[in-house]
Amino acid sequence: MNKKKGWLSLLLAAVFLVSGCSQGNNESAASSSGSGNEGTSSVTDNGSNDGSTLAPAKLKIVLYGDESNRMKELAKTEFYDVIKKEINAEVEFQFLPWTEYGGGKTDLMLSTGEDFATYTDANYMVKSVAKGLYADLTPYASTAADLSKNVDEASFKAFQLEGKQYAIPVGNKPNSAEFYSALVRQDLLEEAGMTQVTSLKELEQFYDKVHAIHPELIGYANTDARRILQYDYTDKNLYWQNDFIALDESVKDDKIISWFETEEFKSYANLMRGWYEKGIIPKYAATNVPQLQSDWNSGKAMFWAGTAARPFEGAATISQAVPEAKLVNYFLGSGRPKISRGTYSTAFFVSTAAKDPERYVMFFNLLQKNQELYDLFAYGIKGTDYTLDENGRLTRINTDSLIPDWLLMNKNFIRFDNTVPDEFIAEYKAWDDGAIISKGAGFNFDNTPVKNEETKLNGVFTEYLAPIGSGFSDYDTAFPKALDRLKAAGIDKYIAEYQKQFSEWYAKQQ
Amino acid sequence: MQTTENKGLLIFFYFCITVFSAICLVPFILAVSGSLSTEARIAAEGYSFWPRGFTFETYEFLFGSKAQQILRAYSMSVIVTMLGTVSAVLVTTAYAYVISVKSFRLKNFFAFFAYFTMLFSGGTLPWYILCTKYYHLDDTLLGLFLPYVLSVFLMFLMANYFRSIPHEIVESAQIDGAGHLRIFFSIMIPLGRVGLVTISLFYALQFWNDFYLPLMLVTDQNLYTIQYLMYNMMANIQFLASGNAAQVGGAIIAPPLETAKMAMTCLTVLPIAILYPFLQRFFVKGIIVGSVKG
Repeated sequence: MNKKKGWLSLLLAAVFLVSGCSQGNNESAASSSGSGNEGTSSVTDNGSNDGSTLAPAKLKIVLYGDESNRMKELAKTEFYDVIKKEINAEVEFQFLPWTEYGGGKTDLMLSTGEDFATYTDANYMVKSVAKGLYADLTPYASTAADLSKNVDEASFKAFQLEGKQYAIPVGNKPNSAEFYSALVRQDLLEEAGMTQVTSLKELEQFYDKVHAIHPELIGYANTDARRILQYDYTDKNLYWQNDFIALDESVKDDKIISWFETEEFKSYANLMRGWYEKGIIPKYAATNVPQLQSDWNSGKAMFWAGTAARPFEGAATISQAVPEAKLVNYFLGSGRPKISRGTYSTAFFVSTAAKDPERYVMFFNLLQKNQELYDLFAYGIKGTDYTLDENGRLTRINTDSLIPDWLLMNKNFIRFDNTVPDEFIAEYKAWDDGAIISKGAGFNFDNTPVKNEETKLNGVFTEYLAPIGSGFSDYDTAFPKALDRLKAAGIDKYIAEYQKQFSEWYAKQQ
Repeated sequence: MQTTENKGLLIFFYFCITVFSAICLVPFILAVSGSLSTEARIAAEGYSFWPRGFTFETYEFLFGSKAQQILRAYSMSVIVTMLGTVSAVLVTTAYAYVISVKSFRLKNFFAFFAYFTMLFSGGTLPWYILCTKYYHLDDTLLGLFLPYVLSVFLMFLMANYFRSIPHEIVESAQIDGAGHLRIFFSIMIPLGRVGLVTISLFYALQFWNDFYLPLMLVTDQNLYTIQYLMYNMMANIQFLASGNAAQVGGAIIAPPLETAKMAMTCLTVLPIAILYPFLQRFFVKGIIVGSVKG
């Protein structure tokens, strides 16, 4: 009896251990592709509507993230009143956890025919349109007249399939060359007696000098530097469609590049190996990637991947830990145009079951209609939630997030706070000058024919290629095996299918 | 000979179980110590078994900024757990009684009817449609426990338990003129106390830990339970940290404090952790008694 009990409890313990250690939470992080393209959108300017002439309507807008207390209040008072006045609609905001974005409950709500609208990316759009879940918004695009004045035309194109508009883009921000620059802690740079960084050599010098003064700081707070370093390992101007596929933007052709099978990847992996061995990428990065981000946020890293807005967005976070922190973007090479995916932040779709899709489009229009409404939705009520000084600089009294400002962010309306220097604002607004739109922008890959291959490839990527690309394992010893796995997982079939679809699409654009 | 072998085995068992319990304990200790550490030192040095820079700041912060929300979610969890457990136990024991009555002709049909749902389920989508379109459980208090009031496994456990009560007792009651209601409430329930406590515990635990129903059916913040609040918080942090956010616009949001996460964990686990040791004996006894006869 005792024995039986003993074995039984051991068995139970083992089962608990196994079930406790397994994690059933593998959301495949699909990378986004697609964006604007040169072309025209069918938007006419018919002036704004007066809400009072419209029949009352009810709209449900789903947003992801936490609903702040202030947002809750405003949704019932000012937001409600303004929207009612403008388009005679009652809007209900529903907040879902981010895990439900592009799947989960959003899928359920779409499949069960709920009447709502929320934001999407190109991948989710392709999948959902194939199932007939998004309303075709083409007939109503003209309703968003104010919005289309403030949002780039190319952004509209990014959310069209077969000539139909399935989502309305919002946001307009300089976002070319995302992650192609090194975002450097200028205060540390100056402390080390340097003024700027223009090459990989100088960047490594910067690390060495700062490391000598502050050995506790880590170097690069990320594990992926293929964009920052491209000025060193290639003459091409590479732009990645996803983890496996890149385009060379310096030539005008429809050829896609299987990134891992290139010599460039080899050179890049060796550079990263050097960084890893040198300690520029900390040893713990191999097992604890989130820690990199929190190190960066708490001012314990020297540089990061940059975007146009990161110098001020990032500074806001870091300055809590290091008040004197200053951030500047540096490119490690020059002469290659910046590449843009389009200037939108995201795009709103409307469910097929919506009774009044046009009214939804009118609502999206309000989000980017004019300065007054932008201020209200992004910052709240003047005097209560924020104040403006004589230069139009913003001081927030209440820091609760309202309609997320990354979503609304539009260079025509955005307000900066006192800490952002004038020259930075000028630089930010001119960031996109001379940038080109990627030749793959607006292309949406239909992965149905190679779905199995894609799943397997993603597995191989995580297990073998990401560690090589981050320098955790050595290219020469680890790559041959990784390549075998790639081939076994069907990389050739995947590339061929992608090339086929891309060529067809590319030919149509010409 | 045999006794020494048994002794050896026993020591072996105890050793394994001790190691196992220690492994289970580690995350709890880390969570408690993390919640009592200062943020700066956690970020700099990582977690440890002993709080780094002992402080109550995190709890002060949590109760300062989110006190109202946490308290409301807490009381919602308590309400849901109580209502849910009471109704679930009622429904479950009633069903269990019905299929354990010897003279009831359709008892096998009803047993199979319930058993069938253990093997096959309609799937999430039909379930969601049924709950929202037909039963209108979305955004209601009922929606937070009604879908879970009959756990088939616990129902069979209870039915087995009822079957283990000598049939003669029921017969003599019938001879004395008792109906089924009377037998159920005056004989079965009192005699089935141990089983009842067991399934109540299971149910209470399930309702307390559940975040799925609020995730699926609730949008009104007043109906958030503490687990869902927690889930929401963690989900948003993880998403933002995973870098997927770049896809939808490159949002840079500083993830909430590490220590705050740990403090939230402690707050949710605490009531169960305190209650468990006291109720555990019913737990073990109940399972064993119910399983002997089958």
